[in-house]
Amino acid sequence: MQTRKKILRTAIALTTGALLFAPGLALAMDADDAPESITIDSMANLYSAVEFDHLMHTEYASCAECHHHTTGVPVADPNCIRCHAYTPEGDDVSCTGCHEANRFDKEYLDTLNDPQIYHIDKPGLKGAYHLNCIGCHEAIDGPTGCQDCHTMTEAGEERFDTGKHAPAGGSSGAHH
Amino acid sequence: MKKLNRRSFIKGGLATTAAAAVLKEKTSVASGDFDNYPEGMGVIVDLTRCVGCRSCEAACNKEQGLPEPAEPFDDFSVFDQIHHGQKRRTDESKYTVVNRYDPPEIDHPLFRKIQCNHCNEPACLTSCFVNAYTKTPEGAVIYNSKVCVGCRTCMVACPFYIPTFKYSKAFTPKIMKCIFCYDTRLKNGKPPACVEACPQEALTFGKRKDVLKIGKQRIRETPGKYVDHIYGEHEVGGTAWMYLSSVPFDKVGFDTHVPKEPIINSVKEFLAMVPMVLTIWPGLFVGFHLLATRKDKIKELEMEKEAKAKKANENDKKEEQV
Amino acid sequence: MKLFSTERPEIPIVNHTKEDGSAWTIKEKLWLGLSVNEYKKQFFRNPVNWFMMMICAIGLPLILGRYAFGLGWVTHASNDYPWGLFLGFGLFGMVPLSASGFMLGTTVELFGRKDFHSIERLALLNGLLGYFFAVLFLEVDLGMPWRLPYPMFVSLGPAAVLFLVAWHVATYLSVQIAEVLPALFEWMGWLKGKRMIRKWVLGLTVAGIILSTLHQGALGALFTYAPAKIHPLWVSAQFTWIHFFVSSIFGGLSMVIIASTLIKNYMGWRCDEEFKSNLDYVTIGMAKGASLAMITYLVIKIVAVAHDQEWTYLLTGWGSYYMLELTVAVVLPMFMFAIGVRNNWVTLIRAGAFIAALGIIWNRLNTSLVCFNWQMYQEIPHWKEVWITVTIYAIYFMTYRFIVYRLPIVYEWKGER
Repeated sequence: MQTRKKILRTAIALTTGALLFAPGLALAMDADDAPESITIDSMANLYSAVEFDHLMHTEYASCAECHHHTTGVPVADPNCIRCHAYTPEGDDVSCTGCHEANRFDKEYLDTLNDPQIYHIDKPGLKGAYHLNCIGCHEAIDGPTGCQDCHTMTEAGEERFDTGKHAPAGGSSGAHH
Repeated sequence: MKKLNRRSFIKGGLATTAAAAVLKEKTSVASGDFDNYPEGMGVIVDLTRCVGCRSCEAACNKEQGLPEPAEPFDDFSVFDQIHHGQKRRTDESKYTVVNRYDPPEIDHPLFRKIQCNHCNEPACLTSCFVNAYTKTPEGAVIYNSKVCVGCRTCMVACPFYIPTFKYSKAFTPKIMKCIFCYDTRLKNGKPPACVEACPQEALTFGKRKDVLKIGKQRIRETPGKYVDHIYGEHEVGGTAWMYLSSVPFDKVGFDTHVPKEPIINSVKEFLAMVPMVLTIWPGLFVGFHLLATRKDKIKELEMEKEAKAKKANENDKKEEQV
Repeated sequence: MKLFSTERPEIPIVNHTKEDGSAWTIKEKLWLGLSVNEYKKQFFRNPVNWFMMMICAIGLPLILGRYAFGLGWVTHASNDYPWGLFLGFGLFGMVPLSASGFMLGTTVELFGRKDFHSIERLALLNGLLGYFFAVLFLEVDLGMPWRLPYPMFVSLGPAAVLFLVAWHVATYLSVQIAEVLPALFEWMGWLKGKRMIRKWVLGLTVAGIILSTLHQGALGALFTYAPAKIHPLWVSAQFTWIHFFVSSIFGGLSMVIIASTLIKNYMGWRCDEEFKSNLDYVTIGMAKGASLAMITYLVIKIVAVAHDQEWTYLLTGWGSYYMLELTVAVVLPMFMFAIGVRNNWVTLIRAGAFIAALGIIWNRLNTSLVCFNWQMYQEIPHWKEVWITVTIYAIYFMTYRFIVYRLPIVYEWKGER
């Protein structure tokens, strides 16, 4: 049993490696297919929209690192591989395609009641962005401050009692 | 003491028994259990996700109409504030607070959000003698300031030091605590403001039983990432807000010595005794009284007898002399 | 008073009628039979009164300030220590020291020990005033004091220990008023009222025992709501209520010994011969009872440590403090009582009572303040909080004295009874 598993694992690893270095494969998307820049503004309110330099990020990471299995590029996570080893490119590869903006609204939560659903813990859209971005930025020493990616709007300053809305006598903007 | 005649004795006895009956009725509910609301909502807080941005604090402040903070919510020097050797806590101006911990085991800080944990069997609720607290079917522990007397027993009873008192007000003081955004959000099927504001989804909202499942799934699927414990699953009988951590909970400010049972269980020993005292004491002490005074009576009777005997004796002597 | 009594043999008032056969009016009785000027003179001659006035001069404005500006103005407004001196001393300390009413009520009325009759009224008054002022302390501490009747009539939370405390203290306060009223009725000359109440004496006494057992215990049980906050040596789910109840027995008895000692020494003019001649005897009797309660208390204290497996705590600093409390507050006065009883050393007993009463307050403060949040920091009460506490206690002292000066508490009414 142990050896069989080992063989299987090696095989998967080899295939994954082969696929990663086989750009011509029809099922997978290519970094070149991707847009150069994306404006992330679906939730811009307290913070202004993020101009996401997609092209630049493709230099740091493979598609699968952010897009999981949806681009047709196989994932490395052994847990994901169990189901998504051979999934083709999805119809919608954008974050909003899978990640719910209103992750905690009753309508969405009710859909999780289906006992067949495995992904009961799929992050919402905002969570998906931040967990993905900040997680990686921390690992490779990228920018991690809130305003490093998006500047605070007037509404944000009001919410955070900062900037124009800073309490009298208080200091502000001391980011970590 | 005035001698008791039979009638007044019975009257007195009846009065105490009646008093006991009335009081007993009131206390018999004392050890009653609360219904657990299976559909109640909950939140699981994942310490490994929190980055300490304080967005939840800002959102809570606005949602609940709390006073302007002393420092802006993007001021992170507050994490260094120490008062009486303690990190920041909830007070009349903040229902939730994020604190930074630097456990030596790991190379980065962890942040822990505190707010009301919305216990299944809340100590604040069970200790309140005017029923100011309610555990709603949605899972929130809410408070009614209209009946509160301001005794602050709830603050003594809360094992998490959550309820605070508006000491600053002389005529309108009240308990100030997180209510799970019950009246503005939870009631309408919406997550509380802090959950909605969290960019990292460190706060996962859902039915308590569902977020508990999520927590267990995270522990199971990412071995080594978390300690194998969900704080709040069993603590004080279970709480609606629960925590996941990558380091032992006592390293990030949790009280790991809180009982695993609801707080009310440690009071039940006394509550169970109340009806017994109410029913047994009257009979017992009236009995004591009868026993104690019977001795006096016997003495009295004996003395009477002696006196009679003496008299008779004297009479005999007189007769002899005659 | 001595000055006047030599000049005017009709003072102190012990009868409805004056020497000349006319009746004292209530007003005259209130002024102790003195003219207003004479009364003033004796009042200002007493240094104790100056001391009391000094305390009140600062304390009363502070109390007003508390109601005008809120609790935060006189306390540290701590959310970690919700209860301070007002409850720690005023409620948890005063109530056990007022257990005297039910103790001697039971002894005299229930067990028929008429030899303790001469002290019974003082014990009942001591109980009544202690409870009344505990409620006053509570009224200073409550955030919304005007809602005091809420747990009775507006919004009931019957599952809470404090609900029992509220009901039992309220009903017991009524019982105690009823028990002390005969003294007032004698003094007023309303015999009908007195006879009416005397009929209920057994019922009242038994009700007193029930209510006392329950709320003395309930005050202890209140702390079992905080099992994780109070040091385990001072709180126990099974035993705290028993500790509180049993310690209230010797607390109440000690307080009566203290009160009677002060009255005998500083108010001798008011005592009648029966009270004075019996006092040593009843003091020894009460010390005997108190020392029995103390040994019981010690045993249950040790049982609690054993039952909760807390022996290792005894080796810590907190353990030493615990042992110190038990030794000074209980063991020491217990031996003083025992030796005093054996050798008829009443002075030793009186000193012991003083220590025991302070010991009870110490224990209650330890439970509610010192050992509360034992893993956190120590709350030191605000000076205003201390001053207000002392002020209310001073008012308690003056009220106590005011009543003992007048009503037949330590003397027997010579008029119609």
